[in-house]
Amino acid sequence: MLSVRLRIKPMSMLAAFIQVHYARFTTLAEAWLANGATTFGIWQKGQLLAGWPAGNKPDQPGLVMPICVGDQVIGDVRISGMPGSAARARLAADVELIAHLFRLEHEIECMASDLVVTQDQLVALYRLSHSMSQYLTIEETLTALVMESMRLIKARNGFAMFVPSIADPIVVQHPPAEIDEALLWRCFWQAHSAAPEVSLTTLDLSTTMADCPRDLLFIPIKTRDTVIAGLGMLRDPGRGFQTPDIKLARAIANQASAQIEKVLLYKETFDQAKIRAEMELARQVQQDLLPKQLPHVTGLDIFAASRPAFQVGGDFYDFICQTDRPFTFSIGDVSGKGFPAALLMTMTRMAIHSKAFFMPEPTPRVVLQQSNKDLYKDFTQVGVFATAFVGQYHPQHQMLHYANAGHSPVIYRPAAGAATMLMADSTAIGIFPVSSCEDQEVALRPGDLLIVATDGFSDARNPDDEMFGHKRLLDLVDTLAEQSAQDIADSLFTAGDRFKADCPQEDDQTLVVIKGVAT
Amino acid sequence: MDIVTRYSDRVAILELTGRFDKNTAPPIVTWLEQAAATTPAHILVNLAGVNFVDSTALAALVRGLKQCQQRGGELYLCGLQRQVYMIFEMTRLSKAFSIFVDEDHAIRALTN
Repeated sequence: MLSVRLRIKPMSMLAAFIQVHYARFTTLAEAWLANGATTFGIWQKGQLLAGWPAGNKPDQPGLVMPICVGDQVIGDVRISGMPGSAARARLAADVELIAHLFRLEHEIECMASDLVVTQDQLVALYRLSHSMSQYLTIEETLTALVMESMRLIKARNGFAMFVPSIADPIVVQHPPAEIDEALLWRCFWQAHSAAPEVSLTTLDLSTTMADCPRDLLFIPIKTRDTVIAGLGMLRDPGRGFQTPDIKLARAIANQASAQIEKVLLYKETFDQAKIRAEMELARQVQQDLLPKQLPHVTGLDIFAASRPAFQVGGDFYDFICQTDRPFTFSIGDVSGKGFPAALLMTMTRMAIHSKAFFMPEPTPRVVLQQSNKDLYKDFTQVGVFATAFVGQYHPQHQMLHYANAGHSPVIYRPAAGAATMLMADSTAIGIFPVSSCEDQEVALRPGDLLIVATDGFSDARNPDDEMFGHKRLLDLVDTLAEQSAQDIADSLFTAGDRFKADCPQEDDQTLVVIKGVAT
Repeated sequence: MDIVTRYSDRVAILELTGRFDKNTAPPIVTWLEQAAATTPAHILVNLAGVNFVDSTALAALVRGLKQCQQRGGELYLCGLQRQVYMIFEMTRLSKAFSIFVDEDHAIRALTN
């Protein structure tokens, strides 16, 4: 909108106008002189700006005609030697033409001036976008926005604020701390719920602004279809904000919106990368917590592996090997998935490990009962439970003592028999304040096989939505029974993968395979 | 998963159909938490239409059971399909819950 009104400076403008069009004025003057006029002059406030014939200055002009532009008299044309109404009418017409030309010339100058202003603003906006683009935080961006906006809009005070979805809101103002922040936020929340831009009158801030009266322009800034930021400018009272100011402020706000979006995207990408890095670290920690080496126990062939469905999982297995105590192992599964399950898995594993390691006579029953006692309160508060199986091998009898707190599937296959499921003897850790699990035993003589897995195997689903199930698992174990512990484990993973085909692994898969071997 | 909730004789009934697992558990956890907040909370979860439960689902039911019991209430289960009942048996959760064949039996036990 090119409507900026420039104040006319008559003296300089009329003189400049005559100078530019001097040849045309000379032609006009000579026409009058040829028709009998003795002098032709253009005057302003009693001073001759240009006269014809050259050097002739009449004392008393016959005709005087003012040059009017709008409601302003910018000068007059004086002619001597031609009295009469016909000459007056002709002079009036000529002066009207001069005034019209003057007006046109003035408008062209105004338009050129507006274009220069607009071009300046475009350059300034480019600089603004360039200067803001180097900032990577919202606070830096808002500060740059306020400083550049104040410079472009020529405001006395400036402020900007941002309300993130999480974390504390940010407000910056310049000069710092000059205006009560509560007032700035009032502007924001009014703009948030109402008008596209807010001025002093619509805000009715007369009482709160009494000690610091200013004209206010506030532009809300939308990002992702929501007003999450705003830009405010203040000028001394009476100066107000005109259409070009508002248009420029809007353009700045749009620019700021794009920049805020960019900063948010950068932050999100950065945060995601950070989370990924932390997840990777957590995965690494969890892998490191698993036994690094398989134990060598006379009379047993042991293999164990764990494959989480996500980067971190809720399954674990553990070996507790002490020279003067029987070999003990544990396997467990915390309900739920991902980070929460992983955290509680670490707790469960540690609870079982410390009991098996430090208690005077850590039978599987005692280990699980004590772990349940320790974990029950925390698990109840969080609303989870953990299934766990603890086994302890007694080589002198080639027997495995075990206790099972809600864990499944546990498959036992004696050398001379078919694979069967060993049922849990108590509920999982965290269900009841006191665990009722008992010590049980199975033989682990040469050829006997025990596979303690997690439900990630039995619950695996194929594209037809069929579950792998316990029967397939038992049948498979029967066919694999002659193989080594590692080969059995590998085959179980492979069979599970083949069964689920393209379906994603939905649950963690962990297993411990223990087979009795001849010494 | 379809979730239907209704009330019968002071018993809040949750009727579930389909797979009850980590993907479908969140709204059920919320409902159970709200229903358990009433005193005394009498909740019946009808699992007749459920063909699979995973450990997240079991944890949701255990959590609901504990919340009810803390407020002097009860959470009963009914209508378990064979394969679902097997999971309760294998994990011995059948010891933790009162399980009924159908709604009528469960409501009678809850209201007596």
